[in-house]
Amino acid sequence: MTKEKRLKKRHNAEKRFRFYGLASIFLALLFVLILVQNIFSKGSSAFMKTAINVTVFYDPELLGVKNGATKDEILEADFFDITIDTLLKTFPTNNLDEENQLIDLFTTDAELEIKNALINNSNLLGKTVSLEITSSDDIDQLHKGNYPRDLPEERRRISNFQLSIYDNFLENKKIIKNFNNYFFKNGDSRDPEIAGIGGALVGSFYSILICLLLSFPIAVLASIYLEEFAPKNKITDFIEININNLAAVPSIVYGLLALQILLATIQLPRSTPLVAGITLALMTLPRIIIPCRASLKAVPPSIREGALAVGASKFQSVFHHVVPLALPGTLSGTIIGLAQALGETAPLILIGMVAFVVDIPSTPIDPSSSLPVQVYLWSESAERGFVEKTSATIMMLLSFLIVMNFLAVYLRQKFEKRWN
Amino acid sequence: MSDIKIKSKNLNVYYGNKQALFDVNLDLNEKEVTALIGPSGCGKSTFIRCINRMNDVIDICKVTGNIEIDGIEINSKELDVVSLRERVGMVFQKPNPFPKSIYDNISYGPKIHGKGESKNELDEIVENSLRKAALWEEVKDRLNEPGTGLSGGQQQRLCIARAISVNPEVILMDEPCSALDPIATAKIEELIDELKKTYTIVIVTHSMAQAVRVSQKTGFFHLGKLIEVGKTEKIFKNPDNKMTQDYITGRFG
Repeated sequence: MTKEKRLKKRHNAEKRFRFYGLASIFLALLFVLILVQNIFSKGSSAFMKTAINVTVFYDPELLGVKNGATKDEILEADFFDITIDTLLKTFPTNNLDEENQLIDLFTTDAELEIKNALINNSNLLGKTVSLEITSSDDIDQLHKGNYPRDLPEERRRISNFQLSIYDNFLENKKIIKNFNNYFFKNGDSRDPEIAGIGGALVGSFYSILICLLLSFPIAVLASIYLEEFAPKNKITDFIEININNLAAVPSIVYGLLALQILLATIQLPRSTPLVAGITLALMTLPRIIIPCRASLKAVPPSIREGALAVGASKFQSVFHHVVPLALPGTLSGTIIGLAQALGETAPLILIGMVAFVVDIPSTPIDPSSSLPVQVYLWSESAERGFVEKTSATIMMLLSFLIVMNFLAVYLRQKFEKRWN
Repeated sequence: MSDIKIKSKNLNVYYGNKQALFDVNLDLNEKEVTALIGPSGCGKSTFIRCINRMNDVIDICKVTGNIEIDGIEINSKELDVVSLRERVGMVFQKPNPFPKSIYDNISYGPKIHGKGESKNELDEIVENSLRKAALWEEVKDRLNEPGTGLSGGQQQRLCIARAISVNPEVILMDEPCSALDPIATAKIEELIDELKKTYTIVIVTHSMAQAVRVSQKTGFFHLGKLIEVGKTEKIFKNPDNKMTQDYITGRFG
């Protein structure tokens, strides 16, 4: 082969390599973009909810309380009649079926909303006020344009009569969109319009907190011991190999382990953040030990020798010099381990966190859901309203993960010491 | 003639199955500079690392024989290695300041040994150590800046100051100038000349010229054996051993 030919061949090979590299990066970015776009377009509407403006007369007679009743008396009162009365007044109906259809336009929690408005301001008793009552999921989806209204009536969940009411409300500007605070503060519900991730958020928070409290100290101490103090022999080699193996064990296996030991043997309460936290800690431990050991190993031996040479004991040289220098790497490894734990679903399903829990847990031993399990639960639900809620929950989960990963990078770059 | 400070008797060192030192018998005089020369891997560094038991850190390293400092055996199990290292300081081949401020680099040793209870005492120790290491004038205005920000030669003097800070009796130097330029090297050599008034110094060096310049006594190692030891002048002008002769004239090594 001539010199020119070889040169040309080499240049072509370099060009080809550049092309492959750029193409794969482009492809990866494209997929990320499609994913994000898909989630955003589906999920962003979940942060708004549709409400219908109604006029309520807080009739003391209908409520069965005296004028000037105390808060306790209002809490005791029955708001069913007043709710039906209020909702039926919004549109003229001719028979019971139409009445039911009209009431179905509003959330099942309409009674609670009317009650809460009075509890928050007991001066309203005996007065007529206008209130925004959350609409039913079907109207919400229709108003957001997620529901096709050109289907034949028998295949629609919204009847022609309900559509005409909706159009009438729209014309009279009674339909409002406002911020969906239910999504953040409510627990799960069968009704999408009042379902929220409040319970899942608190459950995830408790789980990750317990996971952090258990796994961080154990992992850091284990890695310090293994890296700095343990003799290098067959036993420590064996331990090291098995830590690496444990980090690769599928998470569902930890779920099975927790099911057998924590739930069946120790009888800890099922579906609770406590069990979830312990399970996630077991899973996260090796995943934190590995980066911890790596960052301890990255501290140059000359630092250890320098400390020993001025008469520091082994213990002092490790805790005064090596550990502080390894801390940024240790912390970022921990945060990334926790981020993985935050997104973990399979082991939580096994320990019963997949149960339908309406109440927001107040302690780590209350039954609860968690963010990824909530995604799983809602993605299986039939109602249209849960589609956007699934995506919105994914958005929340992703934003937590992004924040945590940023924190990890920031900590590492800010506090990492350089040596020559 | 000064007194003998450190005395090694039949010192053998093994790294696993490999023997690194063979029956080394070497006496080091007090307040004198002893230079150890020899080709790479001949055991010079291994020898000085025995004097402050730095080899303890290496799992597979085994030491037999005796080393006495002031007539006291240091290889015994009862001896607290920390108090030994307080008496025998060490400066390494590559400057290894802690990634902390200049002040903290020097004050660390005194702090862990309970010297310098008050801030004033510590300040004094830091200043004295830096003065003795001929670094004070250069860094007195930036004691709170990181020690790793200094130049290579300054870093090495910082490490010498750090070794001095705990007021040792012996200072071991393992090729302290091999990573430095000639100007920085000259400064360190001047410093060694000054320090030998107070401390017993053992220096490992690859530079024959340096050994001649700084030391009063020289030991020549080859393949783990101490070939010849004597007054520096004699070793370099009129060695007894043929191998020493060949090495110092550059025929091998």
